[in-house]
Amino acid sequence: MALYTLVIVALYPAFKHTTSLDKLATDNPAVAALLGVVGSLTSPGGWLNANIYEYFLPLVLLLSTVGYGAAALAGHDEDGTLGLVVSLPVRRATVVGEKALAMGIQAMAIAVAVAVCVELGRFFDVTAGVGHVLTVTLATVLLGLDYGLVALAVGAATGRRSTAIGAASALAAASYLVSSLAPVVAWIRPARFLSLFYWAVGNDQIANGVSLADYAVLLGVGIIALGVGALAFERLDLH
Amino acid sequence: MVRSGDLNRYWIRSTDAMPSDVVIETGELTKTYGPVRAVAGLNLSVGAAQVFGFLGPNGAGKTTTIRLLLALQRPSSGSSRVFGLDSMSDSLEIHRRVGYLPGDLALYPRLTGAQHIEWFAGARGGANRADVGALVERFGVVTDRPVRDLSSGNRQKIGLVLAFMHRPELLILDEPTSGLDPLLQYEFERLARETVAEGRTVFLSSHDLDEVQRLADRVAIIKSGSLVATDTVDGLRRAAPRRVEVVLPGPAARTGFDSLVGVKVVACHDHRLALEVSGPIAPVLRAVADQDPVDVVIRHADLDELFLDFYRGPSTP
Repeated sequence: MALYTLVIVALYPAFKHTTSLDKLATDNPAVAALLGVVGSLTSPGGWLNANIYEYFLPLVLLLSTVGYGAAALAGHDEDGTLGLVVSLPVRRATVVGEKALAMGIQAMAIAVAVAVCVELGRFFDVTAGVGHVLTVTLATVLLGLDYGLVALAVGAATGRRSTAIGAASALAAASYLVSSLAPVVAWIRPARFLSLFYWAVGNDQIANGVSLADYAVLLGVGIIALGVGALAFERLDLH
Repeated sequence: MVRSGDLNRYWIRSTDAMPSDVVIETGELTKTYGPVRAVAGLNLSVGAAQVFGFLGPNGAGKTTTIRLLLALQRPSSGSSRVFGLDSMSDSLEIHRRVGYLPGDLALYPRLTGAQHIEWFAGARGGANRADVGALVERFGVVTDRPVRDLSSGNRQKIGLVLAFMHRPELLILDEPTSGLDPLLQYEFERLARETVAEGRTVFLSSHDLDEVQRLADRVAIIKSGSLVATDTVDGLRRAAPRRVEVVLPGPAARTGFDSLVGVKVVACHDHRLALEVSGPIAPVLRAVADQDPVDVVIRHADLDELFLDFYRGPSTP
């Protein structure tokens, strides 16, 4: 992911004056929506948004967090390891909390690597503000954690890794579609508020910054998913 | 002791009084999975400082019972208490005082035995290094290779160390000698006896009836989720019909035995006659003597015979 980010920022000088590319996006809102472009594609912010934050970084983070969230409880129970862990003098809520913490550390490691590489972009004329880069990166981590915690909660409720992956992935895919199509499909537009992508990266946060409302929604969903997961895990029959 | 059905003649019996210190007690414990009743109104009592054998074939409800005792699963109804503590609401305290070896032991494939031991000891607030070292040496545990590279027997040894290393008051062991060679099975039996001699309790479920017969002070037999017999091994054997095997000089005949009270002819071919005697033995001996036998063997049934006999019997309600 870090290498990909470096390549993207290093390629920016070759595209920053490509007005035809910019025109393609501005003249074709549907194409812009499909490419995840918000604003100008050849501006530093638009370039990062389209190539990293709108799609690729969330995808990588989702692969990490949803995979981990589904494996953390349901997967380990299917493997048979969780029963032995829960037979230790440890509260189930503690197990859930530690799993969520590990998920967060894993996601942060990816995000920090990306943020550092994006900041290295200043040597390639990618002059997005440091503050915005960091806050959007953090918002993307929260986005990934939200769906990871949904996977964890579904796994805690069902004990099935495949169900957890399926449910969280379907929600994330629907959320992405709503956020990316909202600018060009009128009847979807009101639903953008239901999309976590909108609150993390879908509202041109790389240019405008992440608002407190964005953080509140992303944090609130994560806290609710974590709470539901902890409650569900208390009732899960383990192997 | 409780037993219903046609085999009541040797299963329904009240025997030795329960030990005063009850470590495990369940009351009408029930666990259902949809229409399936895995544990059905189980009433079990296990006294302290003994090896308690928990017997039953696959699917009888042994493992589910163990998971209910440890609050790994929630009961559908009924209660279970360990050390007098409620399995669900006091699970943390129970887990502190229990060592557990699951029947289908699964460890983390990439971790070594040493890493497992270190991590579990840490989660338990520490374990005596000398005790752990003694267990590792005693069972010849491979500690320096990832678990994925170990045989099932070597993984089972790690499981035994994890269960015993903090010197718990109660050990709940599900098929503890699965995958162990005879020498290590013997070592396990020694360890279990030493544990009981120190006043601690071993609750083990096993398919190995010989092992249970050698090791257990008391046994319980579970069928279709219900307890159908609990007693000492000797008590069960005494209560069971004796086996009388007779070798006769001429062709064996049932005549003279079928009419005796409490006698069932279980085999009669060539010169051999096998009887199951649950009534008085004297009339049988007189009838046998009339046949001028070449050889007579009278013995109590072994645990495996009792077990098989029991399971071939009618279902409990």
